[in-house]
Amino acid sequence: MLSSSQPGGGSGALSHVYIQHPSLRCNIPDSRGLFYDDANRLLICITSSQVFSWQTAPFNPDVSPSVDSISEGPILSIRFSLDKKAIAVQRSDCEIQFFHRETKQILTHKCKAGSESILGFFWSDSPLCDLAILKTSGMDLFACDSMLNLRLVETKKVNVNWYIYTHETRLVLLASGLQCKTITGYQLSTAGVVRLPRFEMTMAKSESNSKPILSSGDVHLITVYGRIYCLQVDREAMLLHSYRFYRDAVVQQGSLPIYSTKLSVSVVDNVLLVHQIDAKVVIIYDLFVDSRAPVSAPLPLLWRGYHGSDQSSQAANKENESSESSTSNEILVTYEDAWTFLVPDLILDQTNKVLWRIHLDLEAISASSSDRTSLLEFLQRRKLEANKAKQLCLGIARAIILERRPASQVTQAIDVLVTAYSYSVKAGTYKDIKNEKTTATTPTVGASPDNERQRPSGSTIDEEVEMNLPSGSEENMFCADEQQESQLSSPAISPDELYKFVFASVEEMMVEESEYLVAIITEFLRSISAEKLKVDLNIYVMTIRLLAYSKRYAELSLFTTNKIIEPSKEVALQLLESGRQNLRVRKLGLDMLRQLSLHHDYISSLVQDGYYLEALRYAQKHKVTSVRSSLFLEAAFASNDLQHLAAILRVLSELIPGFKETSEYYTFYGLLNETGSSVAV
Amino acid sequence: MASKSSGDESLRLCVFDLRRGQTEGQELDKILFFHPADLDFSTQLSVIGLSEGLITFTRLFSPEAACELIEAERHSHVFYEAEPDIWMVMVVEKNRETGAIWRIDALRRVLKEVHSLFVMFHGSIRALIEKEPTGGLTRSQLYPFVTDYLSNLFVGKKLQLPTFRETLRERGTVQMLTLARDTALEVQSLVQVLESCAGSLRSHSMILFQDLLVSSTLSSDDTVNLFTFAVMRLTSSALSPGESTWSYLRKGAGSSEISSKSFSAPLGSIDSLHSGNGNNMHHVIRPLQNDKWTKGKDGFLITDIWGLETGGSTDSAIPTVWLQQTQERVYLLAYQYKSLTLLLLMPTTAIVNGDLSVSAVKQQFIEDASLRILKVEEKISRGWGGENAYHVKGYRYLVVDNDMEVSRASPLGKVTTLAKESLLALNQLRGEVDLEKSRAKRQEKDMEICIRAKNNAWVIARVTRGKELYMALEKASDTLLDTTDAVGKFSNRYCSGAFLMD
Repeated sequence: MLSSSQPGGGSGALSHVYIQHPSLRCNIPDSRGLFYDDANRLLICITSSQVFSWQTAPFNPDVSPSVDSISEGPILSIRFSLDKKAIAVQRSDCEIQFFHRETKQILTHKCKAGSESILGFFWSDSPLCDLAILKTSGMDLFACDSMLNLRLVETKKVNVNWYIYTHETRLVLLASGLQCKTITGYQLSTAGVVRLPRFEMTMAKSESNSKPILSSGDVHLITVYGRIYCLQVDREAMLLHSYRFYRDAVVQQGSLPIYSTKLSVSVVDNVLLVHQIDAKVVIIYDLFVDSRAPVSAPLPLLWRGYHGSDQSSQAANKENESSESSTSNEILVTYEDAWTFLVPDLILDQTNKVLWRIHLDLEAISASSSDRTSLLEFLQRRKLEANKAKQLCLGIARAIILERRPASQVTQAIDVLVTAYSYSVKAGTYKDIKNEKTTATTPTVGASPDNERQRPSGSTIDEEVEMNLPSGSEENMFCADEQQESQLSSPAISPDELYKFVFASVEEMMVEESEYLVAIITEFLRSISAEKLKVDLNIYVMTIRLLAYSKRYAELSLFTTNKIIEPSKEVALQLLESGRQNLRVRKLGLDMLRQLSLHHDYISSLVQDGYYLEALRYAQKHKVTSVRSSLFLEAAFASNDLQHLAAILRVLSELIPGFKETSEYYTFYGLLNETGSSVAV
Repeated sequence: MASKSSGDESLRLCVFDLRRGQTEGQELDKILFFHPADLDFSTQLSVIGLSEGLITFTRLFSPEAACELIEAERHSHVFYEAEPDIWMVMVVEKNRETGAIWRIDALRRVLKEVHSLFVMFHGSIRALIEKEPTGGLTRSQLYPFVTDYLSNLFVGKKLQLPTFRETLRERGTVQMLTLARDTALEVQSLVQVLESCAGSLRSHSMILFQDLLVSSTLSSDDTVNLFTFAVMRLTSSALSPGESTWSYLRKGAGSSEISSKSFSAPLGSIDSLHSGNGNNMHHVIRPLQNDKWTKGKDGFLITDIWGLETGGSTDSAIPTVWLQQTQERVYLLAYQYKSLTLLLLMPTTAIVNGDLSVSAVKQQFIEDASLRILKVEEKISRGWGGENAYHVKGYRYLVVDNDMEVSRASPLGKVTTLAKESLLALNQLRGEVDLEKSRAKRQEKDMEICIRAKNNAWVIARVTRGKELYMALEKASDTLLDTTDAVGKFSNRYCSGAFLMD
């Protein structure tokens, strides 16, 4: 399953999550530190007087940095303004400097020394303010004009020990109290500033009964499926508690076990990765479902070489050679101390000054999962590698049929695919339009399914109102490279594709077990009928073939009369064909042709079966002249019934204008007279 | 000829084997069944002797299809060769005053039906005779069986054969429920669940809603037989008689005393003839016995016809039937939920071999299917138009699809509103069509007949490629053109245009 084995990863090792070569490298001499500006997704490297910044979304290892000059001095943190016109640098616990990148204007903001100190700052796109500065005494919100003049608009007074903020969630959490577990939260979204109800994090008491203190590194804000969660490490209990944020409530959601005192989290394609750093393994969770069970077994994070869209080993090998040189002089250790996990899916290696992006190996996850139904559900929720997920789903569907899994299991699996498709059509994500950026946005509030909103959570009021997620444009860029790879925004599989790539492709191998296959097709039809979907009518043609093959004619007629097999010309023709062994089935085909008013085919088939009089009568009634007149005549002549022949000649002369002038008429009229018949025409 | 009570005179029914009793003095040996059973042997023999003579004689001209019918002045003799050399003959009295006006094919279908049902439960008569050449076994099974069957035809104390009043019925066909596509898919899905209850074994199933067939995976012959039996004894309306008896297969059972009387008498007499051979050795099973089925707590139907299920070897007490298509004996499990009756048929060999236990199948059945049964019942009930669902205003009709062995007709309650003259005319017309059909034999013939009856009603017959349509229209003012038009409309609307009208 692995595309290649890599140095440092151990050859042949399994992994579900990997980082891949080449990485984004910061080869800047005299580097004094690396920073990450999550709002702009910039990796920033500083020297004594310069600021280098790399765009990390879309992730491109070959991107070149932009360079800015700033005055010398200590740098505690650095962030570009959201319009990237200014750079803000925290110089000390009481001073922040602003540099205008064009006008080179410099502005310094200081707070009252002694009484309070600055913990940090971030830029905001809320209508109220542009900049938030976090201090031990609370949060100051400033408006900032183009001249970098700051105007204080609001102050939130709280005692703050530490804070965390991610631009992805627009959420800032302020920790206070002796244990730092009392949390005040604000969301500074484009919709305004929302204050969350204050809440307490859960902390188990230690054995010595001392009260542990929560640190900012133990709290993580993540976004999955458009929902905002906070994950908190409780080392005493060895649990990772999760809290979900609603507009006006914070609801504890349950806890995940942890196996390492050092822990970090990433989110890739709405999948939560919990890095158990001491154990050097990563555990995958899909928080979409209520289940707290991991998606797959804990496995190490591995390095991989360049990994093309087609996963061919050839391509991978070629890349191995080229990447060899770049990796040879590095000592690569996973989860080394200098690793920083950046929101949502990046790893910064401070020692080697490289940035990695984390990837999910959907193939490996599929290969190691035994519960096909939940695996399909998992794959259907994947957006980043929609095409690969789709191919895997098709493969799984084919495999479970070929493996003759119990029909109920297969049905469940098919149901998952049909439901997912139906949902994605309703949500508008199922589109085959290439490179359509708007479809690549991470799911927003509207994308959360209905059942989610009815979940009882024991909280107070209005909890079902989801917290607003900013619908920023960054998310588009963050998916853009995958777009080029897969050109699909959703792994949803249409009924037609299911027919084509699953049922039709297994038909030949399953003829001997046609009963089983028919059972599965029926369930599939039921499933799509329940979702009011349509399917390629060839599936009905195939069903007829299978039923006829196993000689289940009674069921075949039931299927046809009940319209489980939907009538169409193709279906009718297949019934005629399969009816070569069974007259009843053939009649079903004839009836269908008649019901569909396919006069020409109906008449031709009737004549073929020897019912030329009925056929002619029908032709006369429906004024059908397209059937070759010789068909009737030859049939009558072959049956040696001269009376019929005479009758047919008469009817045809009435039906077809100018028939009496045709050579056909003369031929058969002649034949009639030759045989000395006294029948009048 | 008849000297006994007048009640018996109206019908004589016998089954005999031409290969038996060919030596003088052994003639009685050929009689396998005779009704009425208390008729003296000389009379029995004279009926059979006459029949046998005619069969032998007509075979000279037509070896393939010998005598079918004798019309005497006062009686009709209806012949049916059920199995090679096993003949069934029915002698019925004609009497216009009492309304004893028959259509011969309808009578023959009675013979056919009783034989098919017998074979379904006991296997072929020939096989039984071969198994036990004295014929004792065959007789001991045939007597109660046919008697139980005939008891079904009693109305009050009078045995009533299908008269002209039933001319808009077709015995030996199945009446189907029309399903919407989504319901049909649900049903099919349920069928698959049912059949998987027996594991990987190929089992069959049949589902009925009230007295209508919803689904069957059996061949059409087997379907007809099992359907007939189910409607007679198993469906919800069969289990609670009196509620609704709109199926012609159940006329009510007011005849238990008669059946038991005629049942006990012949056994003694015949067996004494054969020195008491075998009767006690054979376990006589009476599958058609009335009021023997009840619904158990778990929803499965239970009966003691095959023995008591309480004993150690429970499987022997489970009903079995013989399938023609697969030539195998299968267990019959019947389950009922409201108006829905589900029959599951599993090969007996599997259970004998110990691959399967019936109680395990039942368990699986309840686990897997209960919810779906609930859902299907609800869906069907919601879409069900009631007893008169298939009534078409202004028409009294019967449509028969001989290929599928399916028929549909105006509801009984509506047919009874027809004038006697209309029914008589239609009955006669049907008789003519039967005759034409039997003459045409192999070739499927198109027929179109419109007749104005004495009461100015129109009776219509249309036959086309295996499908038949019979109709009575009592709108006296209609012209032939109007009538043809009306039939054409009916054909287009309800028979997907099968009956093309000029």
